[in-house]
Amino acid sequence: MNLEEKLKSGKFVITSEIGPPKGTNIAPHIEEAEHLRGKADAFNVTDIQSSVMRLGSLATCRLLLEKGLEPVFQMTCRDRNRLALQSDLLSAAVFGIRNVLVLTGDHTVLGDHPQAKPVFDLDAVSLLKVASGLMEGKDMVGNELDGKPEFFLGAVVSPGYEPQELQLIKMEKKIEAGAKFFQTQAVYDLAAFEKFMKTASKFGVPILGGIVLLKSAGMAKFMNENVAGVNVPDRYIKMMAAADKKERANVSIGIAAELIKGMKDLCPGIHIMPLGWEKHVPAVLEASGF
Amino acid sequence: MDYTKYRLKKAEEISEILSGISRISVLWCRKCYKEFKEDSEPECGQLKAMLEGSGTEITVCQPVDFLCNNHLTGKILEQMQGDEPVGVISCGLGIQFVAGACKGKRIIALADSVPQSGNATSIVGYHGIALGPEKCAACGQCYLEITGGICPVVDCAKSLLNGPCGGASSDGKCEVNKELPCAWVQIYERLKKQERPLSSRVEIRNYNIFKIDEKIKQEKLNRNERAEGYYGGVHPQEMKDGTESIPLDVFPSPEKIIVFLSQHTGLPAKPVVKAGDNVRVGQKLGESAGLVSAPVHSGVSGKVIAIEERMHPVSRTLQPAVIIENDRKDTVDSSVKPVPNPDSLSREELLGILRDKGLVGMGGAMFPTSVKLCPPKPVDTLIINGCECEPYLNADNRLMIEHAEEILKGARIAQRLLCAQKVIFAVEDNKKEAAESVDRLKDNYPEVEIVSPKTKYPQGAEKMLIKKLLNRNVPEGGLPFDVGAVVLNVSTLYSIYRAVYEGMPLIERAVTVAGESAIKPGNYIIKIGTPFSDILKYCFNGKSADMLKQGCELKMGGPMMGIVQFDMESAVIKGTTGLLLLEKPVVEASEENECIKCGRCVDVCPMELHPHYYAYYGKRGEWGKAAEYRVKSCIECASCQYICSSKIDLLSFIKKAKKHVNNKN
Amino acid sequence: MLITKIKDRQEVLETLKDKNPFVFKCFGCREVSFPEAEIDNLLQEYRDCVKGIARIDYLCREEFTGRYLKAFAGEISSAKSILVFSCGVGVQVVSKLLEGKIVLPGCDTHYLNGFQGVTAQNADCEQCGQCWLNLTGGICPLTACSKSLLNGPCGGTKDGKCEVNPEMDCGWALIYERLKSIGRMDSLKKSAVNVRDYNLIIKGATK
Repeated sequence: MNLEEKLKSGKFVITSEIGPPKGTNIAPHIEEAEHLRGKADAFNVTDIQSSVMRLGSLATCRLLLEKGLEPVFQMTCRDRNRLALQSDLLSAAVFGIRNVLVLTGDHTVLGDHPQAKPVFDLDAVSLLKVASGLMEGKDMVGNELDGKPEFFLGAVVSPGYEPQELQLIKMEKKIEAGAKFFQTQAVYDLAAFEKFMKTASKFGVPILGGIVLLKSAGMAKFMNENVAGVNVPDRYIKMMAAADKKERANVSIGIAAELIKGMKDLCPGIHIMPLGWEKHVPAVLEASGF
Repeated sequence: MDYTKYRLKKAEEISEILSGISRISVLWCRKCYKEFKEDSEPECGQLKAMLEGSGTEITVCQPVDFLCNNHLTGKILEQMQGDEPVGVISCGLGIQFVAGACKGKRIIALADSVPQSGNATSIVGYHGIALGPEKCAACGQCYLEITGGICPVVDCAKSLLNGPCGGASSDGKCEVNKELPCAWVQIYERLKKQERPLSSRVEIRNYNIFKIDEKIKQEKLNRNERAEGYYGGVHPQEMKDGTESIPLDVFPSPEKIIVFLSQHTGLPAKPVVKAGDNVRVGQKLGESAGLVSAPVHSGVSGKVIAIEERMHPVSRTLQPAVIIENDRKDTVDSSVKPVPNPDSLSREELLGILRDKGLVGMGGAMFPTSVKLCPPKPVDTLIINGCECEPYLNADNRLMIEHAEEILKGARIAQRLLCAQKVIFAVEDNKKEAAESVDRLKDNYPEVEIVSPKTKYPQGAEKMLIKKLLNRNVPEGGLPFDVGAVVLNVSTLYSIYRAVYEGMPLIERAVTVAGESAIKPGNYIIKIGTPFSDILKYCFNGKSADMLKQGCELKMGGPMMGIVQFDMESAVIKGTTGLLLLEKPVVEASEENECIKCGRCVDVCPMELHPHYYAYYGKRGEWGKAAEYRVKSCIECASCQYICSSKIDLLSFIKKAKKHVNNKN
Repeated sequence: MLITKIKDRQEVLETLKDKNPFVFKCFGCREVSFPEAEIDNLLQEYRDCVKGIARIDYLCREEFTGRYLKAFAGEISSAKSILVFSCGVGVQVVSKLLEGKIVLPGCDTHYLNGFQGVTAQNADCEQCGQCWLNLTGGICPLTACSKSLLNGPCGGTKDGKCEVNPEMDCGWALIYERLKSIGRMDSLKKSAVNVRDYNLIIKGATK
């Protein structure tokens, strides 16, 4: 079963994530994905995450496929105009990539090439619409395609975003434009997440709760200050601060497991973003009862 | 070129937007940056035609000059009643402003902006304050050095920085738009002319060159500076450092003085001396001719040579004056006696003394002081005007530094006469020494509040000063006493002091003499009636004759509102604040130049007028229509002319329009 | 309003020292930011290198600049180069009028919201040719949003501020508030998927 089928079947879905390197040394990352074979149902590959130049998502997704692992091709709108975006979607299809997660993308100034020209010719909504159009055999301006792609389109939503109504309006637009599944921004507050899911689940589209492993109290505080929509409660910060260096990973795993267990009844699956701690994901899954 | 920034939306789009809306009011912008050749624009009519029979009624179709001028358009918005949606025909700036200002009302954009750059790679391109074809992408990293002055960002369709692509046609046309030449071919040709190679550096553009917080800061700074104190106004170069440190000096007594019988608003004085009479310092030469009038006195002792017509420095027509030959004995008249006990005098007695001593407003308007201190409406605030906002001038400045006590004493008398509760001493913040000089005495004059407003011309004009200090608006056609205030210049207050405590009438005053080629610039105490030729000789030596021949101008007053003098035998009067011999500008203001509707005059007019209409109708001789744009309210501060990008002689049109209004009445 | 900042000091110094320029100093945009004091200090320091200085307003007005070129013809012809402190428009005009002379910019051009000639504004217009203001209740999504998004916000809003700079409001948060306040949320909820047409800039531009 592929990701779409698993979601339909009602199985609790687990997706993980790979952040390609700044360079060509992709092998270790594919290795780590191997360790989760059978445990994670699919692997997101980020697209120049945080606007830091890296190896591309398209190539990495293809390498995963060659290993028999299921990729989710992340596509941002920051770097490519509508021509390149459509072209890369066709390339993805030809490579056998089916799952496409569409997002706007961080602004260039936040990354390591702040002088670069930000493109944003399309955004998540319009890119979803374009991708849906390609699936029907037409490009964006109505030309017939010689061979049409098939995708399982997804998008992102941020439960902690304020004002929440605005985020939900955009979520609806994404669904109308063709989004068939969602992955959320990192969740740390189960009560807030439950409240969000009450409304969001009414749209009838599967939403996978996002989990980010905390590496330190400092990281938690940094995210609270700088990352939109992320709210790490004091309790967790204190727990991380109290742990000494050797213990930190375990505390982090514990927190993640607590959150995942809490989410089991709220959403049809989870999306884990290890952010470099790929090696701890198996432990997280074990601690969560998988 | 026509840089109109908006285009009415297409009929289908408008009918879609307005479907279901039964009534709208419409604001349409009269456009900017195109030659001002017609009074009206077609968009309103086009809209009306589109909406005929559509079910949407236009309740009002209001034209607005420079719709994005927040202050003035804001006033129009306040007047708009009704809660129907407002359709706006303007570029994005105007629509956004109206939408932000009319919270709660639905604002409908009826126009699209017109792309300016013509370059989809570099989507914005800004023209200058001119209707030329050159545009700037404001990239913040100017490449014109390596391209011989042709902008690769705007002119190359791909904004290439390192040479052409392969797409140009054989005749050098761009592949994107065949009407346009390939910019890099042009650059290559230009550099060849200058015998320079193409640069070998690899250029990569930096898109992160504008830090947003800096931009926000700059915008705030600019807006605050523009709005400081009162709407409009400008910041010309102050040019005060030439004379600000030169203390007041007595100008050498002239051989003869020419005392005009009219040195005040109102009826000219009637002469009370005749040729052959001997006169003394302080003796009356002419008597008040009515209520609004003032006497004139002699500043020297000697013999009256004649009473005859001379060139008047304000009207520049021949007017009667008393010519006196100086005997250099400085014999003082018996009428020059200090008032023994001023506090014991009644108001009427004091006013009589001020009248008798020939006191008039010395900021330039020369209104009889005794009448000004007897206003028909109650006054709660006396404002001491130490602004001296004209460039170059320092006479009032030095007076405040050297005679602050006398000014304050004179102000006390004025306050008493006005029955004013409050006294505010305004010294613009470019005169720190003067402010400190006054401040040192504040313990003895606790009723005086010293305020140093930020320097902005023309803050010294009564209406602007009242707005800044009291936030009161003198009504259109009204006077300061209509809002309970009276403004007096520091020189006037000093002369009140002298009149009461020395018994000396107004026979001399502080005058700044300056100009780039002055050999003895300074702040001189000059006898009223001293001929200009004396001053030119003393301060400019032989140079002045040549300079005047070359077309330099002798201005009485400051460079903004000063009056050009053609006759060097004209003389100093009570309102002479300065005498400046200024270089002729390379480009002079002319009535012939065409207005390009840049909107800057409207931006800077402190009386919130639309000066560009004075030029438009003036050129066509339609003085009546010019007058309709409230020309009577113009204070002739010349801010509009100062900033006019077309260098139109706006003051000339304004004066003619005013004359027309006066003649009609 | 075009505002200028003096170029990297190194670049300008090289021009002053090696190229014995005649200097044009434009203060024309008046009442906006022009680094005149900075420029004057620099020119004073290197006054021996400078052939002459013309202080001119509205350098972008060709007819006026032409008269200055005449008035300073002698100095200009003997100068190795012309150094122009003005926005890019002024430099281009001088270059056009003095095609055979090396004309160098002394400033980089920046920009204040609100076009040239009319006072700095709170809002800006990107001259897109297809006004979106009806959808957004009168706040321009292209200029108010750092990414110029047309279909709602990205996930980067924090406390109503843009991820690019905490001083900057999130354009879509502003649009949302505005639409709520005028009762036009339907515009946000129901609108079609919006995409920009960049071809309008080529086709529809002022010629």
